[in-house]
Order: sequence, then C-alpha cells, then structure tokens
Amino acid sequence: MVVEQVLVATMVLTTPILLAAMGGLVNRQAGIVNIGLEAKMLSGAFVAVIVSSATGSWALACLAAAFVGGSIGWLFSLTITRVGANMIVAGLGLNVLVAGVIGFLLAWVYASSGTLRLPDVALLPSVLPDSIATLPLIGPLLAEMDPLTLLAWATVFALPVLLAKTRIGLWIRATGNASHVTRAVGLLPKTIQDVSTIFAGAYSGLAGAHLALATLGLFNEGLTAGRGFIALAAFYFGRDRPIATALACLLFGFLDATQIRLQTAGLPPKLIGMTPYVMVLVALVVTSIQAQRREKR
Amino acid sequence: MSDAVAQRETARGVGRGVGRGLERGIGLALPLAVSFLVAAAALLAIGENPAEIFALMAEEAFGNARRIAATLSAATPLLFTAVATAICFRSGVFNVGVEGAFLVGGLAAIFLGFTLPAGLGFLLLPLCLGFGGLIGAIWLWAPGLLLARYEVDEVVSTLMLNFVAAGITGYLVNGPLLSDYAGNNVTPLIHEAATLPRLMPPSTLHAGFLVGLLAILAYGLWCRHTPSGFEAALVGLNKRFARAVGVSVPGTIVLVMALSGLFAGLGGAAHGLGQMYRFSDGFSPGYGFTGLAVALLGRNSPWGIIFGAVLFGALASAGTTIQLFSNVPLDLVNIIQGTVMIFAAVEVGRIAVPALGRRRKRERTADGG
Repeated sequence: MVVEQVLVATMVLTTPILLAAMGGLVNRQAGIVNIGLEAKMLSGAFVAVIVSSATGSWALACLAAAFVGGSIGWLFSLTITRVGANMIVAGLGLNVLVAGVIGFLLAWVYASSGTLRLPDVALLPSVLPDSIATLPLIGPLLAEMDPLTLLAWATVFALPVLLAKTRIGLWIRATGNASHVTRAVGLLPKTIQDVSTIFAGAYSGLAGAHLALATLGLFNEGLTAGRGFIALAAFYFGRDRPIATALACLLFGFLDATQIRLQTAGLPPKLIGMTPYVMVLVALVVTSIQAQRREKR
Repeated sequence: MSDAVAQRETARGVGRGVGRGLERGIGLALPLAVSFLVAAAALLAIGENPAEIFALMAEEAFGNARRIAATLSAATPLLFTAVATAICFRSGVFNVGVEGAFLVGGLAAIFLGFTLPAGLGFLLLPLCLGFGGLIGAIWLWAPGLLLARYEVDEVVSTLMLNFVAAGITGYLVNGPLLSDYAGNNVTPLIHEAATLPRLMPPSTLHAGFLVGLLAILAYGLWCRHTPSGFEAALVGLNKRFARAVGVSVPGTIVLVMALSGLFAGLGGAAHGLGQMYRFSDGFSPGYGFTGLAVALLGRNSPWGIIFGAVLFGALASAGTTIQLFSNVPLDLVNIIQGTVMIFAAVEVGRIAVPALGRRRKRERTADGG
C-alpha cells in the first residue's frame, strides 16, 4: 500500500517540475538560460484557477495558462534578444515583477492576500477509466494519470527525436551552439530563440496549471515554492538531455513525495529539500573538472 | 561578445569625464523612469491618482526625522548586499549568491551572540560582526575558487548555494539552534552586549547603518586608490588585456568573490545584531536580490549604491504604511523593483557582462588559454 501511495505521489509531484524542465531544456539548447520559469509557473497557476472557475473547463484553463505563460515568455525573450538585456538579471527581475503583479491583482481584484479560492474550479480529470486501479502496483498510478502528466511524459520521449531528427530541432541546437553560423546560413537565430522561450513559457504555464488543478483547486502565492529553480536544477543536472533530465525530475519528485515519511524517520525536511541544489552543484563541479582534464590532454 | 566591444569599453573606462558621468546618469534614470511609469499605470488601473500616491509615499518616507530614520533603517541591509554585488559585477563576475552569504553570515554572528559568555562585554560585538563576515567570505570564496580553477559557472553555482544556505540555516534554527523558550524556527536572543546600538530610539535605525556606510567607503577607496582595485576593474573591462599586462585573472576572481561574501556576511551580521536580535525563518525577505537591483541601478558606484539603497529603503518603508492608509497593495514595491531589474538588465546587457557557459568557452578558446 505504502509503495503505491508513494508511486502516485511521486508521479503527481514530478509533473510540474518535468513540464517546466522540458521547456527550460529546449530554451537552453537554443542558448537562453531561463531563470524566469518560476514567474511563468506562478502566472500559469493563477490564470488556470481563474479560467477553470469561470468556464468550468479544465482544458480551457490549461490553454489559458499555456497562452499566458507563452506570452510572458515572448516578452521576456524580446528584452533579451532585441534589446540586449542580460538574461540572468532579467529573469530574476521577471520573478520579482510577476510576483508583484499577481499579488497586486489578488489584493485589488479579489481583496485577498495570498490565496485565491474560487467556486466551481474544475480539476484535471484522469485519463484512464477508474477500473484500472485494480491492477497491482501501478494500477493506482494509472488511475490518477491526468492529461498534463501524459503530455509531460510524451514530451520527454518525443523531444530527443524532435531535437535530433527534425529541422526545427537542428535549428534550435545550432542557434545555441553557434548563433553566427545559424545567421550565416540564412536563418534567424533571434526568432528561433524567441520561439524556444515561448515554448518554455507555455510549458511552465502548464506546469503551473498542474500545480493548481491537479488536486488543490486553488491558487496560493507560495504555490510554486521554488519549483522553477528545481526544474532549472534538473536540466542542468541532466545536461539538457530530455531523458536524463526526466530522471532527475523523477528523483526530485520522489524526494518531495517521501519527504513526510523521511521526516518521521528522523531526516530533517529542510535538508531533504536542498538535495536537488546540492546534486547540481556536485554535478557541475564534476563535469567542469572532467571537461578541463579532457582539454589539457 | 566580441573583443571590439571590450576594447571600446576599455577606452571608455580609461577616458573618464563628462561622457561617462552622463552615461551613468542615463543608466540611473532609464530603469527608474520606466519602473515609475509602470507603477503609475498600475495605480491608474485601480483608479488611484499616481501623483497623489507618489507624493504620499515621499511624505511617508522622508516627511520627518522619524520617517527618515525608518527609511534609512530599511536601507541598511541593502547597503551591504548592494556593495557585495557591485564588487563582483565590476569584475565581470556574475555572482547572484549574496542572499545566501547574507543568511549564513547573519546566523554565524547571531550564534556567537548567544553562545559566547556575556562577560566579554565590548569585545562581543566586533567578534560577532567579524565572524559573520568571515563565514560569509568563506561561503562565496568556494564558488569563486571553483570558477577560477575549474570554470564552474558562477551564476548557477551561486544561485544553487542560495537554496543550500536557506536549507542549512532553516535546518539549524529548527533543530540544533532552536530556542528552548520559543515555538518554532527561532534561535535564542543574543546577549545585550552583542547588540548594535540604536541611533535614534525609538526608531529601529541602528549602528549597522554606519557600518554599511563604512563598507561603501572602503569599497570606494579600494576601487579608486589601490592597485588590486584597479586590477579588478581591468578584469571586468577586458580579461585578455588584463592577462596581457600581468594581472592574475583567477586571483582577482577569488578575491572579489571572497570580498563579496565578506560584505554580505557583515550585512547579515549587522541585520541580526542591530535589527532582529535572533535568527528566524524569513530573516531576509530577499535583501540579496534587492541589493542586486540597487547595484545595477547605481552602476556599481559608491554614490549610486547609497542612492539606490535609500530609494529602495524608502519604497519598503513607505510601501508598508501606504497599504494601511490607502487601497494600494504593498506589491507595488515588487512591481517597481522587478521593472528596475529588467530595465537595468538591458543596460548591463549592453555593457557586455560575460555570459554563460558556451559563450565563455568560446571566448576562452579565442584567448588561446
């Protein structure tokens, strides 16, 4: 029983990190390090709750979240590619700005500080029939499978192919590795970067929608709780490779899911919470040292 | 980032004068102007008169001695975090880990403040401050060394270290250092001998403000009047040139990172010993990142930092009261800060801060070493 509960919790908690990480990964392959994933997740969650309550449709809510995330991503991208803003500072600034705008709207429109509870919020449905829950071990997990989780994992397995075999995938990788070459062969590296940032924004928006609509059905200012940065940690750890990044997300989701159990086993939650960041630090140091050794040889 | 740009920057840096001062003025004015326009738009949207609200905020921030003291008190941590950021940015080192060093420095100082015997008297204060600075320096020295030796990307390493700092300090104040006499998340109070004196009671303005000014003075003198300060500027302007004239680029990187940590740790210590008197969750509501905005706004110059810190201090102290007396949410302050950061980032982007991973590698190959 415990195993099955942990599996379900891991899956549910992995999805938002995974969606944001897939977006950020494509973005970084095109040469933009997206520090503003957190901001787009937060706005996605906010919009998803509002639209879901207004229309009663989870699908429209997800579309709206993706649209808003993508739009913010587009504006963010323009400051970097067209006006020459530094991507790190702009990303940090975006997080502050979006948190401010959402807090402002919450206080002004909904007269609430921090939490938004609306009536009739439609939650994400499960994709498969309930009867599947009777399967051993993975039954409960499959029964809880929602459309965004499905999309996230489909993306994980589609991305390696899309990036390696398709024209747009090649363009994205070429832009990230040598934008002057991309321009020399007649492509528009800046536009390709914009598109990749819109993609990252839309996926982060969906990640936010999942956070808000998977089980909670409400919005809270602290909802994302640094998950945008965990996603960043995941694709740095996975070195921008979709499958490796997804495995890192699974591990982080698993840690999140078992946190309460580990806590009762005596491990302090604050220390468990910083595992992803420590892992990235270690991975970063190891790969840098390896790269340097290789060069010296 | 081509060498042409870097060379132009060097030329601009050497040819000090009217042009540079003007450029700095515009650098300050543009992000500010845009952010106040955005804030005004937000105010108009909710049916408030922006001019009235801004006037009210100015009144709240600077209206009388008590309010000015509150503003300066709110500016105090920013003086430290902004200097800590500026010292790295000036050398082209993209350190975003000041927040973490502020936390560990603060906890270190507070830890000594309640564990050392109270009988140490006037010795207690410098010991606590110094220990906070030392721990902060060590905290950022590590990623500095990793960057200098192994080219470990400092943006990611320092960003991640912020979360590690939050995790470690959060763990300590919930476990080993938890006060016996309080509920959750707080350490015991420091000894009275370890507190920084208040300058204008009953306001919370404390001697840490003066320490902050001293830190900025030290930074200004170091920049302008010492060889190592000059070398650090060279590294920021053009690494190739710096290397060619015999400046140790790795040595400079480690130095500015450690100094950054020292200032950030001192800031945390001053905040702990002068304002909070104990460490708790939420010790820093993002002072490191606001300090980053201040450093960008002030273009790393001492006067610019003082101006920026007082401005953001004013926003913070006036923002709180404005929420009480009008319908304007405090989040307006975040909107202004975020916009300042984004538009200051435009300026920074133009002056060619060496960016991440791939680009740096290419630069290095071009350098032939």
